[in-house]
Amino acid sequence: MNANEIERALGTEEPRTDTERGLERLRASVAREGLTPVVAPPGRRISTRGVQGLAAAATVVLVASALALSGVAGTVLTIFEPKSVTAVPVSQADLAQLGGACRGERLEECIGAYGTFAWTTPPQPREVRSLPAATAAAGFDVLAPSSLPQGVTGTARYGVINRSTATFTFSAEAARASAAKAGRTIPPLPKDVDGAKLTITGGPAAIQVWGATDPTATTTGPTGSAGGTLGGIPTLVIGQAKAPTVTSDGVTVDELRGYLLQQPGISPQLAAALRAITDPSSTLPVPVPAELAISHPVKVQGVDGLFIGDSTGLGSAVIWQKGGMMFEVLGTLTESQVLAVANSLK
Amino acid sequence: MEATAPEHGRDRAAAVPAAFERLFRAEYARVVRVAFRVVADQDEAEDVAQEVFLAFYRAHPASADYAAAWLHAAAAHTALNALRSRSRRTTREAAQAIPQDAASPDPADSVEAAETRVEVRAILARLPERDATILALRYAGLSYAEIAAAVDVRASSVGTLLRRAEEAFRRELR
Repeated sequence: MNANEIERALGTEEPRTDTERGLERLRASVAREGLTPVVAPPGRRISTRGVQGLAAAATVVLVASALALSGVAGTVLTIFEPKSVTAVPVSQADLAQLGGACRGERLEECIGAYGTFAWTTPPQPREVRSLPAATAAAGFDVLAPSSLPQGVTGTARYGVINRSTATFTFSAEAARASAAKAGRTIPPLPKDVDGAKLTITGGPAAIQVWGATDPTATTTGPTGSAGGTLGGIPTLVIGQAKAPTVTSDGVTVDELRGYLLQQPGISPQLAAALRAITDPSSTLPVPVPAELAISHPVKVQGVDGLFIGDSTGLGSAVIWQKGGMMFEVLGTLTESQVLAVANSLK
Repeated sequence: MEATAPEHGRDRAAAVPAAFERLFRAEYARVVRVAFRVVADQDEAEDVAQEVFLAFYRAHPASADYAAAWLHAAAAHTALNALRSRSRRTTREAAQAIPQDAASPDPADSVEAAETRVEVRAILARLPERDATILALRYAGLSYAEIAAAVDVRASSVGTLLRRAEEAFRRELR
C-alpha cells in the first residue's frame, strides 16, 4: 500500500464547510455559556515552544497529580470526599497571583496566609521491595498494569505513603498579617470562617515508578509540595490512594468557594470554572495551566476521568476515582498510551 | 429577567472579538477537514470543530502565535477521542454515516468503499496517538511545516515520522 492508497483509504472526499454558519453556531455557544474572551497579557509573547514551557506544564501536572494523590488538594477550596475529578483552567495571571499569595514553595506557607496548618500524622513516603509488599503496606490491593507502552523499560520501583491527617484552622488575623506583610490587600475572612477548623485525611497511597531512581521522590514530601522538574520526570508513574476526605467543624463548601472567588486577581475563566462545579463537596478540582496544557474528560476503567496533557503532546496524565480510590497514571507518554496503561490496571 | 435574557445573549454573542472571528474564518475549514479525515462524518467533524474552537476560546487569546498549530493538533486529538468513544456504535451505523462515493456508482463498490473506510477508522483509533495525528494532519493537506508546529517537532523530522506512521498504518491493515 503506497501513500496514494493510504490517502484513498483515509478518504478523498472533502467535507462541506460553511464557515459563517459555523461561526454563528460558535457565537451562540459563547453567548449560552457566558464565555468571555481571553486577553493576551500586554508585552508578553505567548508561545508553547521551548523546554521552559514544557517544564512548567509538566511540573504543574505533577503538582496537581501529586496533590490529588496526597489528598491535600482542595483544602482551601472544599470540604469533600471526591467522587469525580474536573479540570480547572488556571491562566498565567492566576499562577502569578498564586505565586504572590504563596511566597514559599511549601504548601503550609501558601495556605498559612489564611490560618494555621498542622500535621497530626504527617505523610512519610518510603520505598518497598515489591508489589505484594506495597499491597501489604498500603492495606489495599495495589493494581498493576498488564502491559507497558513501548519505551517504558526496566522494573518498577514501589513507594508507599501512610494514611496522613492534618488540620487547618482559619484565622482572620493571620490572613490580615500575611497580606500586609506581602503588601497585598485581601477581603477579610467572613466571621463564620474565622476560627473554623478543617480536618484533612489522605492516603494511604501506593506509587509505582518506571525510569526514576527514587519512587518516593516523585510524590509529595511532608511539605505537600511536589519537587518535580522536567529532568526528574520518570517515564511512567502509577499512583493509587484512598480518596481523601476533608471534614469541617462548621464552615461550608459554599462559604469557602465564595471567599476564594473574592480574592483579587482571580481570572474570569478560573472564577467561571469554580462556579461551574455543581457539587464541590464531591469534585476534585485539578488545576490545569490554560496556556500550556490541555485537558478533557475521558472514560477510564468504565468511569469518568480527566485527561491532562501538555500542549506539545509529550507528557500526559489521567486521573480518576473509582470505588473509593483515587488513581493516576502519568508520564512522558501520549494520551493513548496513558489511557492504555490506565485501562490495563488490574 | 427572563424576558431580557435573549437580548443579553445576543449582546454576548456579538462580543466575540474580531481577532477571534478572523482566526475562525482562517482556520475553520482546515479544522473541519482534519476532523473529517478521522471521523469520516460531516456532522461529527463539524461538532469536533465547534468543540475545538470553543476550547480555544475558553482558554487562549486569539492573538496567540500558536493558535493555528494548537487548533490543528486539537482537531486531530478531539476527533480521535470521538472515534474511540464511537465504539458504542455498530460498524453498520458507522458505514451508513459515510457518504456514498460519487466516483463509484456501483452499489457494491460503494459498500466495499464504506467497509474499507470503517476499517480505516478502526485502525486510526488503534494507532499510537502521534502516528494517527500525523496521518490525519498530512492527509487533510497540511504542510510539513504546519504538521511540525502542531506536533512540536522539527520540520526536518516530519518526513521520517510520517513514513513511520504510514508503516504502522500498513501493518495494522494487514
